[in-house]
Order: sequence, then C-alpha cells, then structure tokens
Amino acid sequence: MSPLVIAFLVLAMLTCGSALSMLWTKNLLHAALAMFLTMLGLAGLYVLAYADVLAVAHLLVYVGGVLILILFGIMLTNQTDPATGKNHLMTRESGRLLPFSIGLSFFLGLFWLFTKGPWVINLPVTGDSKLREVGLGLLTEYAFPFELAGVFLLIALIGATFVAKNHD
Amino acid sequence: MTDIPVIYFLWVSAFLFATGISILLVKKNTIFVLMGIELILNAANLNLVAFSKNDPSLQGLYLSIFVLVVGVCEMAIALAIILQVYRNYRAIEVDQFKSEY
Repeated sequence: MSPLVIAFLVLAMLTCGSALSMLWTKNLLHAALAMFLTMLGLAGLYVLAYADVLAVAHLLVYVGGVLILILFGIMLTNQTDPATGKNHLMTRESGRLLPFSIGLSFFLGLFWLFTKGPWVINLPVTGDSKLREVGLGLLTEYAFPFELAGVFLLIALIGATFVAKNHD
Repeated sequence: MTDIPVIYFLWVSAFLFATGISILLVKKNTIFVLMGIELILNAANLNLVAFSKNDPSLQGLYLSIFVLVVGVCEMAIALAIILQVYRNYRAIEVDQFKSEY
C-alpha cells in the first residue's frame, strides 16, 4: 500500500469515526467537538483530492466560523435545570432503531450505487496543487458568481443579525 | 505517484450522507439537526471534489466553493431563527413547537 492510501485511510477513519460519535452521543457539546474533528478529517481528504484551496477555505469557514456559531447557539439557548441549577447539555432522542436502519439502508444503497455505477473516470493523473488555476478562474471565468457569492453572504449575514435581534 | 481511486471518496461521502440522515431523524434538538444538515452538505461537497480530482476544467471544485458559501449563509440564518424560536417557546426541541391556536 502506498503512503498516500494509508494517509487516506487514516483521514477517512477520523472523518467517519467522529461522524459516528456525533450520531451516537447525546451531549450537544461533545457533538460540536466531534463535528470539529469531522471537518478536520474532511479538510485532509480535500487535500488528498488535490483541492488544497478548498481545504484551507473549509478549515477557516467551518472551524473558525460555523463551529463558533454553533457554540454560541448552544450557550444562548441553555436550558438550566430548575431543581439543581445545572445546565444539562443532554438532548432527547426519538427511538433509535428506525432512524438507524433508515440510515444504514441509505448507506448500503449508495454504496451499491457507487460500486455498480458505470463511472467512466479515466482522466490522466494531474496530481498537483490547483491554487493558480482556481485563483485565475475565480477572477476571470467565474468572476460574476464569485461577486454574487460575496453579495449573497453580506445579505445573509445582515439578515441573520436582523432576525436574531430582540424585536420587542 | 499513485492516485487514490475516486470510488474511495464516494464511499466516505456515502457514509457521511447516511450518518447525516440518521442524525436528522434521531435527534430532537434543533442545533443537532442543523449539524446533521451540515454533514449532508459536506458529503455532497466531497463528491464534487472527488469527481473534479483529475478534471482539468475544475468545474466541481468551483461549484463546491460556492456550496461552501451557501452552507455558511444557511447556518447563520438557521441559528438566528433558532434563537428567535427559543425566545418564544423557551425550548429548542422539535416536538415542543406547538401552535397556540
């Protein structure tokens, strides 16, 4: 086995294992930390797929932005137990059997589809960083969607602050 | 230098998608449900990246960058909505949102 495949296996196990622990745990904060590990493993997988630009953007956005948002959401919606005065982060669940079997059937179906699918993927291996191509593409061919994404982000963040405001 | 087959990435993304669906179905906390949605989004993103791995035109990579932006917007808006729902109902479990009428 080549070292690249070993690195892939380690990162895939990190990603899948922490996603599974996100599913298994009932503690909201543990799930947020497991999501951090999932995003870390996913960024590594992006690097192995030669998408290093996306990996760095993904790390910045998810670890620096989304995870902080989620932690603030957890802190702002705390539900203190009136009897003990402690804040329990444990969440309730519906029955586990049916959702887990639905998830398992989704996984098996997709696995079967991906394995049997008639993919024609015989492109030559390029295997290098795509930083230069992505930078050039975003400022020439994809300049309009890029600017549109910026405006969209601005609108969404202003809208989020407006929605979160106290309207009393 | 050997190349990692695309099908490995597809398997990981199938696993992430199935885990996200299970989280969506099994958890009652709204923030938990949001995390499941994020997992599904990232599974789709991993698929796009894997298919554009050796593609010279890099279309999947560009699309996945824009998917990332839209995912962040969705997360910010959804958490703001959760905050307002918490102010009104003092609860964020999905089965406790009941109409008063």
